[in-house]
Amino acid sequence: MNTDAGIKDSPLLRVEGLKTYFFQRNAVLKAVDGVSFTVGHGEAVGLVGESGSGKTMTCLSLMQLIPKPGSRIVEGEVWFRDQNLLGLHEHEMREYRGHKMAMIMQDPQTSLNPVYTVGNQVTEPVNLHLKERGQRALDRVLEALRSVRIPNPEQRLAQYPHQFSGGMRQRVVAAMGLVTYPELIIADEPTTSLDVTIQAQFLSLIRELQLEYGTSVIWVTHDLGIVAQMCDRVNVMYAGRIVESAPVRNIYKEPQHPYTKALLDSVPKMGVKRDRLYQIEGLPPSLHSIPTGCPFWPRCPAAMDICHEEYPPRTSLGGDDFVHCWLAEK
Amino acid sequence: MAELLLEVENLVKHFAGPHTMFQRKGPPIKAVDGITFSINEGETFALVGESGCGKTTVSKMILLLERPTEGVIRYRGSDVHTLKGRDLRGYKRSVQAVFQDPYSSLDPRMQVLDIIGEPLQVHLGMRGSALRTRVAELLENVGLGPEAGASYPHQFSGGQRQRIAIARSLALQPQLIILDEPVSGLDVSIRAQILNLLRDLQQNFGLSYLLISHDLAIVEHMSNMVGVMYVGKMVELTTKDDLYSDSLHPYTEALMNSVPQPDPDIPMSTTISGEIASPINPPSGCRFHPRCPLYGDSDICRDLEPDWREVKTRHLVACHKV
Repeated sequence: MNTDAGIKDSPLLRVEGLKTYFFQRNAVLKAVDGVSFTVGHGEAVGLVGESGSGKTMTCLSLMQLIPKPGSRIVEGEVWFRDQNLLGLHEHEMREYRGHKMAMIMQDPQTSLNPVYTVGNQVTEPVNLHLKERGQRALDRVLEALRSVRIPNPEQRLAQYPHQFSGGMRQRVVAAMGLVTYPELIIADEPTTSLDVTIQAQFLSLIRELQLEYGTSVIWVTHDLGIVAQMCDRVNVMYAGRIVESAPVRNIYKEPQHPYTKALLDSVPKMGVKRDRLYQIEGLPPSLHSIPTGCPFWPRCPAAMDICHEEYPPRTSLGGDDFVHCWLAEK
Repeated sequence: MAELLLEVENLVKHFAGPHTMFQRKGPPIKAVDGITFSINEGETFALVGESGCGKTTVSKMILLLERPTEGVIRYRGSDVHTLKGRDLRGYKRSVQAVFQDPYSSLDPRMQVLDIIGEPLQVHLGMRGSALRTRVAELLENVGLGPEAGASYPHQFSGGQRQRIAIARSLALQPQLIILDEPVSGLDVSIRAQILNLLRDLQQNFGLSYLLISHDLAIVEHMSNMVGVMYVGKMVELTTKDDLYSDSLHPYTEALMNSVPQPDPDIPMSTTISGEIASPINPPSGCRFHPRCPLYGDSDICRDLEPDWREVKTRHLVACHKV
């Protein structure tokens, strides 16, 4: 963990009013519509939401990897330490992407190249970012593979992705991200394709690495179990915006937004007997037709007249915590 | 006690292994290796396990999509592989399935009316307005309006598609529906809708379910009996209440500990190391022994396959150390 108190006060990453839109022939789709959050040094922050809530687009915007043409970051600031990444040129951005901030993608099947050896792929960021070659690069790669607990890394280097099991492949992807000692890791649903016991191994591995190197992590997921276990702070996203942000315990014990409450009530929990699960009616809104006012109102059990008309302002819950809901505003 | 609907006895399925340079036929893949269980009428039996444990192969054999290498499947007392003609069609009508991925299990070029109506046309020869009335009724059962019949699958969301797949499985008034990971492809808020719907349908129509899942929280919510599988073998089988209060097999224990709980005050416990064994070359003796926390180098676990025995009433387990 970072010992320098001065650095610790200012967050590692500060996102301000980020807006990323898709531009289509006759529509503008607001995939990310004014997202602000911070990630402290060594902190694990969750971005939670359902498909289409904008959580993956937010992360791709941070890395400036959004699909082009078609989408554009129209507004906002992404401060990494004291540098606004959105003002950088592409070649300057490469200093950050894959070096100071790395992304672990969802599907190890597609994020590894099948025709290159694993050693080759993990060495690439070392050559590119750390400008190290030969034995020094090799040592680093072996260390990274060892840190993600891949047995016999020396032999495994010369193998291809198909010779690895799903769990091991996901570890290779993690090693690729970790090999440059990034300060920030963005983990986009990294365990969805893994079996439960393998997922548990991977989660505890990431947690150990986080303690060891003081890395900050953004967890992008819809799995409320992973969020509860891995995150210090949770940002709940709905229709392109963060609707509630609070430390993990507050989110689970005293959720303020009706969507957060409903989400928590709708998952079956082990050891809790219920005849019926709480059911959120309707569907998550499509980007083509986001309801006016608060986008959750058609599904909200507590919707009032004002909810149809105006998006609720940010209500502070003390500290950095906030919620966007007219109920809290009253 | 409820009546027996389906019995599976000592079911085995070996697939031909991949051939090598020197051998035309590789060693067989032992996908399912001698499992026994039964499903009662109106109840839900859950098969739990990780990838490669054979749970989907079991369901395919029950649906007669795969022929077992050995073993018997009995439906209401009669061996389904001896059924012929009308009886066989009757069996196929009474056992239906809902699959995991509602995007690939519905034909994109068929209207919903035809998707749901096809089994009615094929099995019952329904046509015209009788067909449309029945399809509308089925759509209503799963919470969709009759106007959905004229639409195509791409016009629906994942949850609605899964409702259409459920309506299709209900069309022939089956006794048993096989649910193969029915909600794992869906959004969190939609999962509860589908799970509640499945429960309502079970109560209204007296259905039995064979639920195949890896999600232990969903299994606890839905099932009456649970069988835990590991690499082609059943390792533990008992009532839901017994399994969740007093699981005996170390693998079941490991599975339960591996589930991240949606509660920050219940920390994740230590889990097991190692990887899931391959059914091509499963470990000797107890297949779980290389990962087992109770193994401790004992010869018996390494050399001898554990017996399938009843340790308590309605609680069977295969482990030397229990």
